[in-house]
Amino acid sequence: MQQLTESQLNELQQDLDQIRDQVIADLGERDANYIRKVVRLHRSLEVGGRVMMPFGFIPPVLVAATTALGLSKIIENMEIGHNVMHGQYDWMNDPSLNSQTYEWDTACGGDSWRRTHNYEHHTYTNIIGKDRDYGYDLLRLSEDEPWRPAHLFQFANYVMLSAFFQWGVGLHELEFEGLRKREITLKEKMPFLKEFFRKGGRQAFKDYVFFPAVTLPVAPIVLAGNVGANLMRNLWSSTVIFCGHFTQDAETFTEEESEGESKGHWYLRQMTGSSNFTGNRWIHLMSGHLSYQIEHHVFPDLPAHRYPEISAQVQAVCKKYGIHYNTGSFAGQYGTVLKRIAGFSLPDRLRRRLLPEFSAAAAGHAI
Amino acid sequence: MLSQFQASTALHWLGRQLFNRDDPAAFFDPLLERIDPLLTRQAICARVLSIAQETADTRTFVLQPASRWQGFRAGQHIAMTLDINGVRRTRTFSLSSTPGQWRENGTIAVTVKRIRGGLVTGWMHDCLETGSTLHISEAFGDFDTPAVTESALYIVGGSGITPVLSHLETMAADGFEAPVTLLYYVRTRQDIIASERLFALARQWPALTLNLLTTDEPGSSQRLTDQHLQQVPDINARRCYLCGPEGLMDLASELLSRRNIPEDRIHCTRFSAPTVELDRDSLGGQVQFAQSRQQAESLGDASLLDIAEASGLSPKHGCRMGICHQCSCRKNSGTVVNRLTGKTSGSGEETIQLCVSVPAGAVSINL
Repeated sequence: MQQLTESQLNELQQDLDQIRDQVIADLGERDANYIRKVVRLHRSLEVGGRVMMPFGFIPPVLVAATTALGLSKIIENMEIGHNVMHGQYDWMNDPSLNSQTYEWDTACGGDSWRRTHNYEHHTYTNIIGKDRDYGYDLLRLSEDEPWRPAHLFQFANYVMLSAFFQWGVGLHELEFEGLRKREITLKEKMPFLKEFFRKGGRQAFKDYVFFPAVTLPVAPIVLAGNVGANLMRNLWSSTVIFCGHFTQDAETFTEEESEGESKGHWYLRQMTGSSNFTGNRWIHLMSGHLSYQIEHHVFPDLPAHRYPEISAQVQAVCKKYGIHYNTGSFAGQYGTVLKRIAGFSLPDRLRRRLLPEFSAAAAGHAI
Repeated sequence: MLSQFQASTALHWLGRQLFNRDDPAAFFDPLLERIDPLLTRQAICARVLSIAQETADTRTFVLQPASRWQGFRAGQHIAMTLDINGVRRTRTFSLSSTPGQWRENGTIAVTVKRIRGGLVTGWMHDCLETGSTLHISEAFGDFDTPAVTESALYIVGGSGITPVLSHLETMAADGFEAPVTLLYYVRTRQDIIASERLFALARQWPALTLNLLTTDEPGSSQRLTDQHLQQVPDINARRCYLCGPEGLMDLASELLSRRNIPEDRIHCTRFSAPTVELDRDSLGGQVQFAQSRQQAESLGDASLLDIAEASGLSPKHGCRMGICHQCSCRKNSGTVVNRLTGKTSGSGEETIQLCVSVPAGAVSINL
């Protein structure tokens, strides 16, 4: 990680706080209109998709219905759910956009997400051992974890995780790794599991039982369309999220270097541990503006549609302190993610020879 | 049809599964409000039908509530929620129209005096237009009309006339015959609210004695004194109603109790201007944790999270630095200062972050 002195870190904090204060002071009708417009778009897509689905025996209608429902899930999860639950719109005082009560259209329960994502991931971002989002206890993505032969198969694991992403996210709080190592017991996780079966069951019931059942003569078509929509959302959201922290230059941190850190150091860690990708307006909307992952990690509770507007200011701050603003095309960034997943499935010596750019030194990581 | 979601337990359960929310009928609100806002289900919507200027700083807004609004008794209030620059703000107003009018043509009215520096009343005067919509609560309050045979005395100041207008017109329409005296204190004759309605009542309804008293008219300062009460015939047999600024109400209660009028015959409805800006010296105060029925006294800039924990509560929380919104919680009433922004909150119900909110005076939290 970029080394800054304590006074530089203080100054960095002030610079970023200033950007934040500007946006906070300007929050108002424009932001409210924006999120309400997105909510309206989501409702139209979901209602449209569900209404069209039974007519899916006409192939183009099936494609349209599945796409509409898939897009509705993507927009609801990424731009509405994720962002609302971060408290980005709490200031509006609208009970249906409240961070603590919002429940989204995915298998992971809102409360579980608020604990694992908002708190653990956003507080301990990319600290190996503390941020379990780094590899999801499933993938080896840095040298911090010793190589084992089982890692050879991790690319297949990754594909599976992507395809069933909502269930992976839903079960994240189970701490599989902790259970395997017997650091925690299944009994401790019972309240969570109950919550998971309630929410996951609800989602499965809706898409795989209820809607097919009420359209009985065409149930297989509706079921297939719903599976397709969920798959579409799973693949897209997993891809976007992997681009946020696992690109080539996204750094990892140790517990020691983050112990008792200042707010300035926290900011620095957020900036160096995250990565953006470029794209058009729709790409940003569909990624919930996680294409501005750096801005999001620095200001997780600012309305996400503001990230493009403050991006130039954040880049100027990066430049001032010599911090690498990690961005690139979607394909380019995702390419490095795939390389990282494939590379770290190999023993270290082989990886260093094949993919030298992923050695610890090249990533700017103090060994 | 949507009301079925609330009426039937089975449908409500199903709605929760399908739409992931406790108020499933409100799922369609974003689409319905495009068709007609009065169809929405999350809150009761009302449309502004007309606006009348009563005095230089007072206006009457005639509203048409959605048909499911349940009506009111004369003297009751409603909480009105307005979207002001993207933020929902709620304030309580007395209804100045009669239940008869609502039964007849489905309209109600609030008469609002502009409070100096008041955010909501100022906005209502400057920006609320005919045709726009807002949310209203069901009516509440027990400032009820006297029994048919009971004589009454009203002591009213300024805009305190609003619920009294509803009383008097209702009583006149119902043919009350027992004597009713209104002592109405206003600054100057220009400040009489609804003067035409009052004069019309006095003409048509022989039981009413209307006594207009100006406090700031040059040459005659008629502030409330015992002499005014002396002139009310048979005052000890009357039911007394007080409505107006704090000073007038305190004085009136004192004068009435000196005349040995028992407290259960004196009815008050209080309204006061929102508290003014607080400085850092006045931080701290009585904190009420409504759900757990606990109280705590705080001094200085201790955060509500610290105060709650010191009181033995364990609210949900995360980063303790205002990032993760894990500790966001409903505030029922009272003012808090945000430690990060230095901003003072409103006094009404809203969501706050416990870890960065410092009480400024008495606060009630939904914990």
